[in-house]
Amino acid sequence: MIATMETLNDLDAPTKSAVIDLLYRLADDAIIIGHRGSEWTGFAPILEEDIAFSSMAQDDMGHALTFYQMLHELGEPDPDTNVFGRKLEQWKCASLVSLCSKRDWAKSLVRKYFYDVAESLRLESLAQGSLVPLAQLARKLSSEKKYHLMHGHMWMPRLGQGTDESHQLMQDAVDTLYPHALGMFESTGADDLLDQAGIFLREDELRKRWVAAVDKVLGESSLKINAKASPVYGGRSGKHPDDLATLLDGMQLVYKLDPSAKW
Amino acid sequence: MNDTQWPVYEVFHQQARGEAHIHVGSVHAPDAQMALVMAKEQYCRRQACVNLWVAPASAILATDYQDGDMFEHATDKSYRESWGYKTPKTIKKSKASDKESAK
Repeated sequence: MIATMETLNDLDAPTKSAVIDLLYRLADDAIIIGHRGSEWTGFAPILEEDIAFSSMAQDDMGHALTFYQMLHELGEPDPDTNVFGRKLEQWKCASLVSLCSKRDWAKSLVRKYFYDVAESLRLESLAQGSLVPLAQLARKLSSEKKYHLMHGHMWMPRLGQGTDESHQLMQDAVDTLYPHALGMFESTGADDLLDQAGIFLREDELRKRWVAAVDKVLGESSLKINAKASPVYGGRSGKHPDDLATLLDGMQLVYKLDPSAKW
Repeated sequence: MNDTQWPVYEVFHQQARGEAHIHVGSVHAPDAQMALVMAKEQYCRRQACVNLWVAPASAILATDYQDGDMFEHATDKSYRESWGYKTPKTIKKSKASDKESAK
């Protein structure tokens, strides 16, 4: 029988560091995909999609903020310092969200969809977990994810089966991104502790669920997966593609001019 | 010039269960499902909404503004209104007398 933890104070020291590790992964993935989404504001192929995509980017950034706030409650730096002051190697996001996809709409959509399926499964697992404040937060956030998934499920078959050109663009996006998507489930030292404490599923279990959900929708969208694709790991331990360095240079530029400035 | 945009869907939202759906605007979309997905963020990201309808604009038949005069009343139609009857005055009078007798 797994004991329920009503507050963050109920965590013992090793489990607390495992939760901190998990929250950084969740928060960093969410803020970076949100930032990538915001790069389409004003540039998405149609007006309606421009608004929808930007609005979802705001949702993702909002999710990130709640995770950073919880990290702050656990003794980590405040959200602004964390987002604008951290060095490249201190970030824990997966390469899937770090990759730049400017001007590649198919890649941006497929990436967002891959991420949304993963975040939904993560929230579902947390919502059923033993750490009450995190379970409550996950339940709250999953309402917005429902729409993000609906959006992805709407686009995937329409572009996968649209024209020859749209099919090819989507297939290229899947081929490029699938290994990076699998990299989201890179296991960390926190896996066992989180699983034993009943807080969160193991990454390999989440990956199984993700693959099953995504394979189904890709199949229905006439898109193929390279079953031999091997995951791109590294993000969870601070090894990132150059694209993330470029993103952080831009995102942190103003803050770094004067970190003590009041806004 | 040809209109290269997708067809227009009119959007109706409902702010609470049981209330009427109200027309709030329109979106372009190739089909109804996509219109619904788009309408959610265009029209429900700020205000309360419990239910959303979309309908192809082409399915709506409208009157012509040139025929607007048919909505005008050429003769007194006050009998179609509650205020066109004396009942309200009678009620007022009887309420006043009730008050008087209660004293």
